[in-house]
Amino acid sequence: MLGSPSLRLVGKRLLMAVPIVLGVSILTFWVLNLIPGNAAQQLLGPEASPDQIQQLEEEMGLNRPQVVRYLDWLGGAVHGDLGTSLVSRQPVTDELGPRLAVSGEVVGLAFLISLGLAIPVSLLAARWPNRMLDRISMVVSTTGLSVANYVFALLLVLLFAVQLAWFPAIGYTPLSESVTGNLRSLALPAIAIAFPLFCFYTRFLRSDLVDQMQGEDYIMTARAKGIGPWQVLLRHAFRNSAFGLITIVGLNLSTLIGATVIIEQIFALPGIGQMLLQAINTRDFIVVQACVIVFAIITVLANLLADLLYAVLDPRIRYGSN
Amino acid sequence: MAVTEAPASSVLAVDETAPAPARKWLRSLAIGLPAGLLVLIFGACFVLPLVAPIPKPTGGDVLSSSLPPFSPGHLLGTDPNGNDIFSRILYGGRSSLIVAISVNLLGLALGGSLGALSAHFGGAVDTIIMRVLDVFIAFPSLVLTLAVAQSLGPSQRNTIFALAFFSIPAFARISRAATLRLREQPFMVAAKLSGTSTWRILVRHIAPNIGPQLMTFAMLGMGIIMIIEGALSFLGLGIPPPAPSWGNMIAQGQLSLSATPLLVVWPSLALFLTVIGFNQLGEALRARWSGR
Amino acid sequence: MSDTLLQVEDLRVRFDQRGRRVYAVNGLSYRLRAGQMLAIVGESGSGKTVSSRALMGLLPPSATVTGSARIDGVELVGMPEPEMRRHRGADIAMIFQDPTRSLNPTMRIGAQITEAIRAHARVEKDAARARAMELLSLVRISDPQRRFYEYPHQLSGGMRQRVMIAIALASDPKLLIADEATTALDVTTQAQIMDLLGELRSRLGTAIILISHDLGLAASYADDVIVMYAGRAVEYAPTRTLFAKMRMPYTRALLDAIPRLERQSHARLPITPGQPPDLTALPPGCAFEPRCARATPQCRTSRPPFAQHEVGHWWACWNPCKDGEPV
Ligand SMILES: Nc1ncnc2c1ncn2[C@@H]1O[C@H](COP(=O)(O)OP(=O)(O)OP(=O)(O)O)[C@@H](O)[C@H]1O
Ligand code: SF4
Ligand SMILES: [Mg+2]
Repeated sequence: MLGSPSLRLVGKRLLMAVPIVLGVSILTFWVLNLIPGNAAQQLLGPEASPDQIQQLEEEMGLNRPQVVRYLDWLGGAVHGDLGTSLVSRQPVTDELGPRLAVSGEVVGLAFLISLGLAIPVSLLAARWPNRMLDRISMVVSTTGLSVANYVFALLLVLLFAVQLAWFPAIGYTPLSESVTGNLRSLALPAIAIAFPLFCFYTRFLRSDLVDQMQGEDYIMTARAKGIGPWQVLLRHAFRNSAFGLITIVGLNLSTLIGATVIIEQIFALPGIGQMLLQAINTRDFIVVQACVIVFAIITVLANLLADLLYAVLDPRIRYGSN
Repeated sequence: MAVTEAPASSVLAVDETAPAPARKWLRSLAIGLPAGLLVLIFGACFVLPLVAPIPKPTGGDVLSSSLPPFSPGHLLGTDPNGNDIFSRILYGGRSSLIVAISVNLLGLALGGSLGALSAHFGGAVDTIIMRVLDVFIAFPSLVLTLAVAQSLGPSQRNTIFALAFFSIPAFARISRAATLRLREQPFMVAAKLSGTSTWRILVRHIAPNIGPQLMTFAMLGMGIIMIIEGALSFLGLGIPPPAPSWGNMIAQGQLSLSATPLLVVWPSLALFLTVIGFNQLGEALRARWSGR
Repeated sequence: MSDTLLQVEDLRVRFDQRGRRVYAVNGLSYRLRAGQMLAIVGESGSGKTVSSRALMGLLPPSATVTGSARIDGVELVGMPEPEMRRHRGADIAMIFQDPTRSLNPTMRIGAQITEAIRAHARVEKDAARARAMELLSLVRISDPQRRFYEYPHQLSGGMRQRVMIAIALASDPKLLIADEATTALDVTTQAQIMDLLGELRSRLGTAIILISHDLGLAASYADDVIVMYAGRAVEYAPTRTLFAKMRMPYTRALLDAIPRLERQSHARLPITPGQPPDLTALPPGCAFEPRCARATPQCRTSRPPFAQHEVGHWWACWNPCKDGEPV
């Protein structure tokens, strides 16, 4: 039953996403070329002679003008070739897959944990506003939003890895090796990413629900029908909040990606965040460029997806309002 | 139901916006408490080292390394390099705060005016500026900052530049949205019709009206910047050691987390208190300004 | 007497709000027979909405309701919430002013109606659907098969209000409260909805409380009229009597305001100079005194009793208007 308004929206948003991703690639390329002392120098070390450097530069095509190099890179990227790592000499695309899988798993778990907790907590809080649970959840989520995720991650390590030894402090067990081992190795990183999200979602959802319960006429209509309070909350208020929640979840993904960099560093997870950080530290700008583009595409796609889901789910947009 | 209606609907003298005394008191507490906390923190970081005999944050003596808290002359003890932890907290806070303030001022000044101009002129200018901002906003902020920080090399000044890369677009967005809302206001229309110069409109009409919103955003922005600055330093791409910063202190403490967790706890606590101070102040200001 | 459906006696509602008390309803009494249409009229803030929501237990927790309201002899004031829920929709139903906001924008019309049907009866999905179609036809919505699957924003304002009426009638309530149900609609639609309400009342025998600013509307449709001011009834009579022998200066002022009624609902009603009273501190005398052209010193110091001064005609005034006399 998808009407044309939705389809038109999809087309428009996709068209808008293309220049954004292009812009991001240009920006990264430009920023990375500000690096003083280029990659050849970096690779050969400080003792390299100017001749050696020049030779390698020519080999790598670094002496060509920036625009040419960018277009060259772009040509490859469009065909899925994001270049060859300066350090490992391997195609970047090959390494990206498994890395993305690890990061994706952590982020997916984090979403599950945060939404899985935030939704019931907000519903309970909104069912009895200003009571104990509501107050506690508000204090926790307000405070939680002021805690840096790396601090929270270290607290988790201190408590659950060092003191209680429930989970390993660092390291990653692949899913293929052991499912429980895999989950155990990802538990702390996922919780570290999930906690701020939980705080954020709870705050949003709780206040959106309470605002509706106290202010919206359709809630009054629902109550006047004589249906129970939970039904009013779930079928009427939550249903409407869900649309806003979807958008927020989509928008969060970009913040989350930042979080993976630091969390993967703390827990030594072989994800894309770690890959980026290592590449930054070895000045492997081909890999940096690739990671940043992947991050940007994910962000843009996530926002797009949130918009589209909203459009598909919300009847007001689906059928074109008025 | 009165709650659903605009305040103007209840003709009776139940002025819902006028706070009863208790509420007023609570409200000023909501602003006063975080503001007081921040004054304390600023005082400790910027004034205390000048007036009190606080040891240097660097160049400590190996002989007095890893002293426990409340050791003579070292309130919070010393780190493995023999540096006074309390002093490092104060000096580290100083550099973090300088970074956060500079980044926000840059964002406020450049992003704020960019957004206001963009909205004010509209048309193609606006479209182009917004597209460029979209590019920046599509960037995962920490990733961008990491890349910039790395290419510029770690230093306090470069950290500021790197962070400004995404505070400017963020401020521009807020300021643009606020200005757009203003555009429809009668006094703006009147000013335009009467031929007031663009500059005058910006300074006399737009700036004072979007100011509160931008200030609130800046308060919340301070917290975010403090955290990201900490992250940069934590990853070794911010303020380079041995100069102290909360982020690099946490990173250093992480190395001996199980043996001496306090090394992580102190800077984390300082960071948390500062961030919650800014966040709560921002929220309270928002509540006050939107309540009008 | 035996056909009394609703008996309201000395109903009072107070809001405790941030340390101040708002006395919204201050001793309201009236009686409603089955199938009767009663209009409650008064300017904004006079307590029409609050007093009727008190009957359904739909006030926010800050409200304290005292007095008595019995429907078919069952006391509603102080009834525990779970029990109240069984009466809501089943005995008393309500429709609201703004049909755009009172329907859930993200639910299909059909789902919103069947929800009301199934709230009080164990009905299979199919049966509920059939009944919903029936209700849609009853409120004169053409093509119910299609409308059933549509969303509120696909309907016109008048149709949405018809859907609201269908929802309200889902469980055959004995009493329907229409709170400014036509205020947000244009004049033609307003008349259609009022006609529909009138027809439903005679067909189904549903009693209706018609809440309105508009004394003219009340005059055309209601059997009896209550005029409210500052949370109290100030005049109460069968519609004919009221218009033939208007006693209260305030009612007169309301009537004079009718030609000016094309204003926004809930807008300040400039019926007569001056402000309505402060409900946090009501004066000891007549609440209308500061604005009343007929006020005497007595009006300021003592409150006129609300009493039946003529057969079937109640009012509260020290200096009522005589027949035909100008205010
Ligand atoms: N939740 C509440 N808290 C405090 N005061 C309230 C609340 N709800 C209503 N009131 C007050 O009670 C009084 C009566 O309100 P009510 O809504 O019954 O008026 P009304 O006669 O329906 O007016 P209108 O024509 O504007 O609908 C008003 O002064 C209103 O401000
Ligand atoms: S009692 Fe007095 S003040 Fe009140 S309406 Fe009658 S004449 Fe006017
Ligand atoms: Mg009302």
